[in-house]
Amino acid sequence: MIHSARPAKGKPAPSRPLPDRSALVIGYGSPIRGDDAIGPIVADRLQQQHLPDWVRVEARHILTAELAADLAQVEQVIFLDAAVDLPPGELRLQALQPDASALSTMAHFHDPRELLAWSQGLYGRVPEAWLITAGGADFDYGHFRLSETAAAAVQPMIDAVLERLGIQQPITDPITDPVTEHSDARSCSD
Amino acid sequence: MSRTITIEPVTRIEGHARISLQLADTGEVEDAKFHLTQFRGFEKFCEGRPYREMPALTARTCGICPVSHLLASNKACDDLLAVTIPPTAEKLRQIMNLGQIVQSHALSFFHLSSPDLLLGWEADPKTRNVFGVMQQEPELARDGIRLRQIGQTIIEILGGKKIHPTWVVPGGVSEALSEEKRDAIQAMLPDALEIAKRTYASFKSLLPKFKHEAESFGTMPTLFLSLVSETGQLEHTTGLLRVKDAKGRIIEDKVPPRDYKRLIGEAVEDFSYMKFPYYRPMGYPRGIYRVGPLARLNNADSCGTPYADVALAEFRTLQEDSGPITSSFHYHYARLVEIIFAIERMQRILKEPDILDHRVRAHARGNRYEGIGVSEAPRGTLMHHYKIDDHGLITWVDLIIATGHNNLAMNRSIKQVADTYVDGNKLNESMLNRVEAVIRCYDPCLSCASHAFGQMPLVIELTDPAGKVVDRLVRD
Repeated sequence: MIHSARPAKGKPAPSRPLPDRSALVIGYGSPIRGDDAIGPIVADRLQQQHLPDWVRVEARHILTAELAADLAQVEQVIFLDAAVDLPPGELRLQALQPDASALSTMAHFHDPRELLAWSQGLYGRVPEAWLITAGGADFDYGHFRLSETAAAAVQPMIDAVLERLGIQQPITDPITDPVTEHSDARSCSD
Repeated sequence: MSRTITIEPVTRIEGHARISLQLADTGEVEDAKFHLTQFRGFEKFCEGRPYREMPALTARTCGICPVSHLLASNKACDDLLAVTIPPTAEKLRQIMNLGQIVQSHALSFFHLSSPDLLLGWEADPKTRNVFGVMQQEPELARDGIRLRQIGQTIIEILGGKKIHPTWVVPGGVSEALSEEKRDAIQAMLPDALEIAKRTYASFKSLLPKFKHEAESFGTMPTLFLSLVSETGQLEHTTGLLRVKDAKGRIIEDKVPPRDYKRLIGEAVEDFSYMKFPYYRPMGYPRGIYRVGPLARLNNADSCGTPYADVALAEFRTLQEDSGPITSSFHYHYARLVEIIFAIERMQRILKEPDILDHRVRAHARGNRYEGIGVSEAPRGTLMHHYKIDDHGLITWVDLIIATGHNNLAMNRSIKQVADTYVDGNKLNESMLNRVEAVIRCYDPCLSCASHAFGQMPLVIELTDPAGKVVDRLVRD
């Protein structure tokens, strides 16, 4: 017989106190569906820059439940995604609030507002949250490159993130070779 | 004159699906079908790609179980190279797969199925979701998140990232495990085991409430297919195929994964994009079988770890005739046993003296034209089968996904639940939720190449033969 007691019911377990400054940037999208990859591509590019210690960057295929715990640990979160309801290449910045009704019927991924609601419900904390989206032109299956219009939005999206974080540019020398391909989707590391 | 009830989409599962219930004039269910309505075409668009791209490409089949595809694909590539990977690499791959089992089973139990189990079938669908669970059982919900975090962190420590790590490669893994990384994984496991044990104990205490569901949620005689270790124990990454029948007799054993075609045929039906695998020697559809946690526990002689073996012994008491557990409702139970096993097994592997060995990869070029890789994904046996040309380019692909194996069983299960609970003369939420819930027992993963565009309200319509809507339920 396996016995194990669950802790008494009550308030959320106290989280660690937040550091003076903390931010999480999450770029998400599928790297094999053309312009849907712009979020993770921008996140990859940000990871290559010398960002301050208080900024953490994640590139994800989808938003998953355990990210709720990460959200509870930061002051600010910026989500990066592609959009189908914007003209190709156009950027949009939106403030996000927790929304428990933004449930995904597919269950294995989450709307960012839903994740914020998870963070609020489970840990009693919600960071200031923003969503930066770029309009995409091509979301077809088995496409590994960004369209020209989406590729042109990569640097502006990076700029928008840095501006939102209040970080002065340039962190590194400007990259002259624009990233249009999610190389991670193409090969195993050799 | 028959009528049809359509449930679309099926909620709290992964992917797009529809359930249709065909009713007789009396309101009784004549037929039930589970329709996979999304088409993705991985087998086709991978043709022409270099075989070394296949692990990274096929991992994109899903954002929840990429590790499963990564492993099965790399095993198929190992087969193309005709290499035996170093023993330490095998162990490291096992740890990553077990981390995946933990995080995926945690999602299924805590966040997809617990609303039904904790809040009840009749609960208002507006609150019968994970937020309702957070309200009623916040510690349980946080435990679920913590287990997922631990599983995902193990994957990240090994592979460099949580989702789509590229550390598993043809021939082994790309980097040995450092002492620091080993210690970091080991440090998380006691906490994980405590969570797993207390969740298991909580679930067992709930079981008496679900006696009726246990009798009617896909309770049927089928075969069971899974990998087992060479000594017949529970195994998820290596091993040989075993098939047991509903009476517990082993009818196939020690079958090398390369011979899977002898065991499995695939049928096609016009109402679903998902194929219908069947046990070839018995033909279609008589050769119905199940895979996944239930099948793995039914097939294994033992788990080989202390707490999991105690839990397995308790699990086996669920069946009065001491045969295999035949109720699909008990997939939930089996998942919790497997979480305990996965954590204990990782603890054991990490203590092995060669786990830090630097020889973790065999190097070769393609030496065969055909490669087959089989591993156990959280939802069941996953098979990748590739053919290549002289240039190493893919000419043919067959992927038999874990959920696909259960297609016949899922269809039969919804028919059984509909027969038991649905009164076609007057629909209500709880009866239709049970029809969905039996599908959730299997935790199907219908594949997510990208996040969906927009919301899909659940609409259930009952139409008469003339197409007139005679009853309608809408869940926004």
